[in-house]
Amino acid sequence: MSATPNESVVLETLSQIIDPEIGCNIVDLGLIYRVAIVEGIVKVTMTLTTPGCPMHESISQGVKSALLNLEGVTGVEVEVVWDPPWHPSLMSEQARIALRVGNF
Amino acid sequence: MEVLLPISAGIKTPTSSARKLQTPVSGSITGLGATAVSSIALPLAFMVTGLVALFTVGVWLMVQPEILSTYHYSPSAVAITHLFVLGWLCSMVMGAMYQLIPVALETKLYSERLVLPQWMLHVAGFIGMVLAFRVWNMKFVGWFGSIFATGVCLFIYNIIRTLLRIPKWNVVALSVTSALAWVLLTITAGLLMTAAKTAHANFMFHFNPLGTMHTHAHLGIVGFFTMLIVGVSYKLIPMFTLSEMQNGSRAVASIVLLNIGLVGSLFSILLQSIFKPLFALVVIIALAIYGWEIITILRARKRRALDWGVRYFLTAIGLLVPLSLLALVLSWPRLPLNPFTGQLENVYGFVSLIGVVSLAVIGMLYKIIPFLVWFGAYSKHIGKAQVPALAEMYSASLQLLGYWLFLVALAVTIFGILISSAMIVRIGSVLFAASLTTLAVNVGKILSHYFRPKLTPLVAPKKFNAL
Repeated sequence: MSATPNESVVLETLSQIIDPEIGCNIVDLGLIYRVAIVEGIVKVTMTLTTPGCPMHESISQGVKSALLNLEGVTGVEVEVVWDPPWHPSLMSEQARIALRVGNF
Repeated sequence: MEVLLPISAGIKTPTSSARKLQTPVSGSITGLGATAVSSIALPLAFMVTGLVALFTVGVWLMVQPEILSTYHYSPSAVAITHLFVLGWLCSMVMGAMYQLIPVALETKLYSERLVLPQWMLHVAGFIGMVLAFRVWNMKFVGWFGSIFATGVCLFIYNIIRTLLRIPKWNVVALSVTSALAWVLLTITAGLLMTAAKTAHANFMFHFNPLGTMHTHAHLGIVGFFTMLIVGVSYKLIPMFTLSEMQNGSRAVASIVLLNIGLVGSLFSILLQSIFKPLFALVVIIALAIYGWEIITILRARKRRALDWGVRYFLTAIGLLVPLSLLALVLSWPRLPLNPFTGQLENVYGFVSLIGVVSLAVIGMLYKIIPFLVWFGAYSKHIGKAQVPALAEMYSASLQLLGYWLFLVALAVTIFGILISSAMIVRIGSVLFAASLTTLAVNVGKILSHYFRPKLTPLVAPKKFNAL
């Protein structure tokens, strides 16, 4: 039985997926709300910057593809939620500086 | 094991507000957002059509600058105006709407099947109309105009059915519905004018020919294009600047007043009434309220730096200020009918179509074309390889150069029109061509990603702490 990656590996993997409109990875953008790993199955609860975002399917499928490539991951479940809605205050400090996003 | 990121404290347990992805990784794209652009080929076909028409207009103006330096009621002026409005603006706006309306209204397009026949009718219709106007054959204008109108009816039907799907009516839906009504009226007016010239609609002779032409133009520019710019920007400006609409009632008021002003203008321009300035003022008040809301949205934005696509768009909105003042002057009933007034009317039409609508369209084009190409080239690679951001698909320096060249060209051409100088209009046209060349190079750069995607492998995570 292969080892299961931990949450930091999951987040590091997800940080290679960008929101192409904003030009920032989805982890630093604050789109990932929750990661749970149970017996090789990774459950990701995430949001998008706006409802109706045309990147919806691409990004959420990308999350699945990226995590399924990790050794020890046997399944991925992605839930896109709109509550609470995404807000720029969820961005990491690093992303705010890079994108010149104001304080809150 | 579970990691709760800071925000997760506020997340409700996944219920109806959560959408669980159940499609397999290799499955078809059927989700909410992706349906907006399941087929990128057709919106792109509209946009390529629009760009070809725009470059044709640019070359035509360089060859025949007198079109703008003399009065606008000539076969060449009418032909080039229709090439510009139908070939460039309508192609871009309709192509963009097929992509933007589902995004702005958070729904899916009613029918993708109807898009191809509309595009075919659209292209056949406007090319035929332009050629027929050029030789002033009104019978052919009527035939090709009917072909074009059939395409527009398909477009209207498709968008209306899309609007009927939205769960909650909002200001964007209100503006889109209004714009569709006005474009239908614009086309009806155009066909009636053509019928009058072929003696099939004698009742049209009750109206002043210039009045009907100006009504037709006004309905199209303000009713369709400006209405869409106003409505769609209530969704797009907050989205691109990380802001929010500040006052929904104010936004609705701007659309309602714009409609009232348009109805009044329709009759007052058509009947050459003394109430023209009154309804021009109503339209201006509507636009002022719109500007007020946009300024408050921008003040509340979280993204301080505005990208150049947004700046193009905002500059176009800013040009509504001098344009509104000019509209007020031109609507004055006692304005002397002399050659200079005629040139002022040319400036009004020119700034409306090029300064406001075209600049706004180019700004949005810098958002839409990269997205469509990115979607076609990269969406299937997300999570499997590193893909570029939209802004990395074209040159920001060229975009900046194009912006300033456009504004200088606008100023030079306006000056040329005002003093009726074909030479200065030609210089302005050359500057426009230079600006459009930067756009063409950037569009080429963007399209190159479609044929040769630039992918780099994902980096394996550094830490692999097995449980």
